[in-house]
Order: sequence, then structure tokens, then C-alpha cells
Amino acid sequence: MKILVTVKRVIDYNVKVRVKDDNSGVETANVKMSMNPFCEIAVEEAVRLKEKGVATEIVVASIGPAQAQETLRTALALGADRAILVKTDENVEPLGVAKIFKEIVAKESPEMVIMGKQSIDGDNNQSGQMLAALLDWPQGTFASEVNVADGKVAVTREIDGGLETVGLTLPAVVTTDLRLNEPRFAKLPDIMKAKRKPFEEIAPADLGVNVEARTETLKVEAPAQRTAGIKVESVEQLVDKLKNEAKVI
Amino acid sequence: MQDFLEQLKAVVGESYLSTQADDLETYGQDWSKLYEAKPLAVIRPANTLEVAETVKLCAKNNVALVPSGGRTGLSGGAYATNGELVLSLERLNDISNFNPVDRTVECGAGVITEQLQNFATENGLYYPVDFASAGSSHIGGNIATNAGGIKVLKYGLTRDWVSGLTVVTASGETLELNNGLVKNATGYDLRHLFIGSEGTLGIITKAVMKLTNPPVEPTVMLLAVEDLASVSNLLNHFQSSIELMAFEFFSQQALEKVLAHRELKKPFDQESAFYVLIEFEAKSESSMDEAFAAFESAAENGWLVDGIISQSNQQAEELWQYREGISESISHYPPYKNDIAVKPSQVGEFLQQVDAFVTANYPEFENIWFGHIGDGNLHLNILKPAAMPLEEFKSACAEANPEIFTILKSFNGSISAEHGVGLLKRPYLEYSRSVEEIELMKSVKKVFDPKGIMNPGKLFE
Repeated sequence: MKILVTVKRVIDYNVKVRVKDDNSGVETANVKMSMNPFCEIAVEEAVRLKEKGVATEIVVASIGPAQAQETLRTALALGADRAILVKTDENVEPLGVAKIFKEIVAKESPEMVIMGKQSIDGDNNQSGQMLAALLDWPQGTFASEVNVADGKVAVTREIDGGLETVGLTLPAVVTTDLRLNEPRFAKLPDIMKAKRKPFEEIAPADLGVNVEARTETLKVEAPAQRTAGIKVESVEQLVDKLKNEAKVI
Repeated sequence: MQDFLEQLKAVVGESYLSTQADDLETYGQDWSKLYEAKPLAVIRPANTLEVAETVKLCAKNNVALVPSGGRTGLSGGAYATNGELVLSLERLNDISNFNPVDRTVECGAGVITEQLQNFATENGLYYPVDFASAGSSHIGGNIATNAGGIKVLKYGLTRDWVSGLTVVTASGETLELNNGLVKNATGYDLRHLFIGSEGTLGIITKAVMKLTNPPVEPTVMLLAVEDLASVSNLLNHFQSSIELMAFEFFSQQALEKVLAHRELKKPFDQESAFYVLIEFEAKSESSMDEAFAAFESAAENGWLVDGIISQSNQQAEELWQYREGISESISHYPPYKNDIAVKPSQVGEFLQQVDAFVTANYPEFENIWFGHIGDGNLHLNILKPAAMPLEEFKSACAEANPEIFTILKSFNGSISAEHGVGLLKRPYLEYSRSVEEIELMKSVKKVFDPKGIMNPGKLFE
């Protein structure tokens, strides 16, 4: 089985994000960029499926600027076989992402697409669902367990109040949640080998997809600063504040 | 004595002087946990003025003082074992007068190291002195012990980041030392005398700390290594090929403790005897290529068996956890800590000699090796077997000490690289400092503290 995994290059999870002075977006100059954590989990799951003998080939694809190459190289070092970069400096919206990956699916004919449930920059949680809809494939989102057998995939999903397991007939789209697996570290020898793995670069136009934005960002603002708390002197004062200030009791 | 305590209360206010048993125990000890805390009382003044008034009262009544910071020390330097007044500086925790041009900021002695690190980061700068206890240790304590840690290789010790000090001497006078100047060639730099003085000369109440540019793309490699000889080969190799921020090592036994304690995933499928952690700045593609080339040639030479590299800041932190979690994961044994240093070029040879000695003579003990060997600093932790009483364990370790320190002396090494001398290393000072030097140090102490009320019994009798 061939698996397509998608990855995105985002501001590193550990970086404290700052809003640009002109409120046009967030500061990305001289900011550490890394693979979206949910995409790391997607890559790990694909590699585990390959190690189990379920998958035969892993193709990893990304949409982004030239530097997204590094993110793809990381995926190759972790165990993906080939990489495709759809190179664009545009900020591609979820529908654009889904349209591009639909074309990649048409080109590569994978039996499963594994994506992160969302990227930590936009936090949209839409691309996976949109891709499944465009392909008319079944979808298993928020996966915390994935089992493939007999042309089907059982996806255990984290839902409010518990777990739900859905059975999907392949081909299917799976999006990963945090508890699906714990991604491995990239081995240095594998990073060097990854440099020799096949790497393809294309433009959205080559796929006939228009990635022009359909929404306009008016303003980006940092959340309001929280004011410091106070120490109450007595239980009476606490109850009084809860009752009259916070109005919760 | 009751009268004295009342006078102290008048200085700091009723609620900041305590003689309650739990306060006495908490404030009377440090992380070494090897002694019994028996202070007279705990006082927590609010500012330099209150510290000075407290010291004056102590001088008048001949009561000894133990200055107290985050008490994360490992040599008993902050222990009050003999009816001393513990003077906690935790309320002097203001960060003020940030100057982006000078790149300096004033810190009360009670500012927590991590607070200063965060303050610097929020202002686009960096405070580079860092170690596992940064979330608890105080700037004042760091200065009093000249704390080192994990970034010494590139950034030096706490001493290198202090550009001014406010201290209260044993007579209660307040001195302003160096005032944040960069250049100041006007005689003895008393500031440096207080740095590393372990509270034996006076009480540091405030410091002007320097800040610098944050590192660019800090990247961490973890290498699996089979023997100690390779560890020192790797040190020489990487130091001559890339600019290192940190070069740390630890043993498989150390890793096992951390994995169990913090419930972390294994970094490698296969175990190796030792691990080397390297941090460097991946400033550009070429510095990354140099690091890869260094790795490749080290592998060709057979000095390592495997290696991983961080792909995100998150992973860099995860890799650091394997190293930084060690002290915490073994603290409950408790361990007998050796914090020793030789010149970086001699680390390999020294390490092998000590390891051979300990394995041959103390086979019943579990030894945990780790250290900042990029700067020549090794931590040898001997773990107390569960069945052995603490006193028996301490005396067994005390017997091993002269042997280890004799080897150390032949390398002109230090019996305490960064933990200070305190009570724990006091008997062994002569292995690192000459009799003449120690006499001079004692004379210096007499000048600053004629009555001997400043942290008495620490450093020397």
C-alpha cells in the first residue's frame, strides 16, 4: 500500500509568537521554523505502518516556500521514501491545500492519505476534511489509533466524552491527534541518506490549482494581557469576591 | 536572646521572622540533604536597608548569619547547623532598571534564575547561565557560588555576567561595587572577591547583570558512544570542527534513571555505555554541513555508534531532558556528589583513571557519571545502596575521597568545579589550594568579617 503523508512548515511550537508592529500578521523573520507537531505524528504513523509491512511506499508532500524543503528532508530522514514540494510563497488557505493535495492524489494514487488534524499556525482543522470531500473518500479524523486490515482501516477517534472507532474502506483520509504515537528522533546517518532520496518540486499552477486567497486578513492582535491576581486575606473576602465581583456563586 | 528576636521583628515586621519548626527545617538546609538543620530563626528582610539593619543587630549580639537563596546548593553551603540566623533574600526579587544600550539589568539577590532568563527573552536578549535548578536557584546564590552549568563552554561562568554588586558587609555597611561599568581599572576589584565567596565575606543583596544576544537556531545532537576513550576523542574532534555551545556526557546508568523518573521515550533502540550531548548554533546551512561532516568523520573513526539530531526547539528540549533530569532522578538515594574539574584536554585520561579506581575499589556502589566535560567538569555521583545506613554510606564515601582527590591533585584539578566548598568539601580544600593560599583567604575573611559571623564554618573552619 502506498501512503501519502502531508507536512507543513510552521513557527516552532516552543517559540513565543509575536504580532508584527503593523498588525498585519505574526513575526516570522529570524524565528525558528519546524514541522507542525501533528504532521510529525502523521509521518511517524506512516513509518510505523511501513515497518509493520502494511505500507510499501511513503510519499511525503508539502506546500510552502523553498525552505519547506528542510521540513520534507526531515520527513525523508524519518523514513519517507520520496518528497514532493509544491512551491509557493502564498499563504494557502485550507481549500487551496485540499485542492492541491487532490491533484497530488490523482498523480500518485495512494490508498491512504495521512495528515495532521490541523497545523498550529492557522488552527483551522479543515484541510483533511475538505480533501476527503473533494476526493469523495471516507475520512477518519482525530485518530488516536489506526489499524489497517483487509482493505479497511479502523480509526479510533477522540471525541467529546470518549472514543469512537470508525471503519473506513480504503482509499481513505486519516488525520492524526496528539495521542496517536510519539514521534521518533531523526538519526544523523538517516539525515545524510535522506539527501539522496528522490525530491520533486512543482508549482501550484502545474497542477492547475489557483491558490489565491479568498479571505482577507484585516488585523492581527495579541490577546489582551491578563492582569495580576491578588491574594485574599480571608475566606469571607474570597466568598464576597466570588459572589459580587466574579459573580460565579 | 528573646530580646534579640524582638529587635529583629522591629526591623522586618512580625510576619517575616519565624521560629516555627517547618520554616527552620526548610530554610536551614540545601539540596545536599546530608546534615541536620538547626537554625535559631529565619528572617526575610524586604530590601538592602533591612538586610543591613539585621546584620548590624547580629554583629552587636554576636549571632552568626547564614545567607539563604534558592538553597539548591549541593555542598551544604546554605546549611544552618549551629543555631545561626538564616537570612533569606527571597523577598529581594525585583528586576529593575533594564538598560537596552548597556544591556544590563538590576536584579535583587532573590530573583530566580529563570525569571532573569525569561526577562531577557521577553526583551529580545539572553541570559546564558543555565543549569538544571534554574527554576529554583537565586541570582544571589549563583553569584555567591559563581555558578556554572551547561553553557559555560561558550558563555563562561556567572562571574562573567556580573557588572555590579551591592553587598552588606559583616559590620552592616553597604558597598556598591563597580556600578555596572565595563571598564574600571581603579585597584582591587572587590566585586570579584564576593563572587564565589559562599556568603563568608558579606551578603549580596543586588546585582547588575549583563545580557547578550540569543543564540541562533540552537541545535542539539545526541551521540551514542561505546567507551570513555571515544568520549574524549569526540570532545577534541568536535571542538576543533564546530563552535560548541555545550558538550555534555552521561552514562547509560544515568540515562536509565532519567527515563524511569521522567517517563521519557528511549533516545536510541540500542543501549550504549555512554552518551554525548552537543549543542551548537546552526547559523546557516554551512554550519549545519560542518556539523554533519564532523559527525561523519567521527563515525568513520569508530568513535560513535549512532546519533540523533533535534529537528525543532521542542526536540532540542527533549534531548536536553536526558541530561538535565539526572540530578533530580537520583536525589532520593541520596547520592554522594563529586563535582570535580580538570583541564578540558585532560578529561579523557582523568576520567579513565577515576573510573578504574571506583570500579575496582567500590564495586558495591552504583556510580552515575555525567558532566559538562567540554569545560573539564565531571560529576561523579555515588548512590547510597538502599540497605546501607546514611552515616555508614557517608563514611565509606569519605574514605574514597582522598584517593579520588589524590588522582585529581596529580592533574592539578579542582575538588569543586561549580558546587562550591560549603561543609561537604571543606576537609579537602588542600587538594586544590596550597596552604599559603588558604592562609591568605583566611586573612581576607578576617578583614571583611572580623567577628566571624558570616556563614561560619563554610569554606574553612
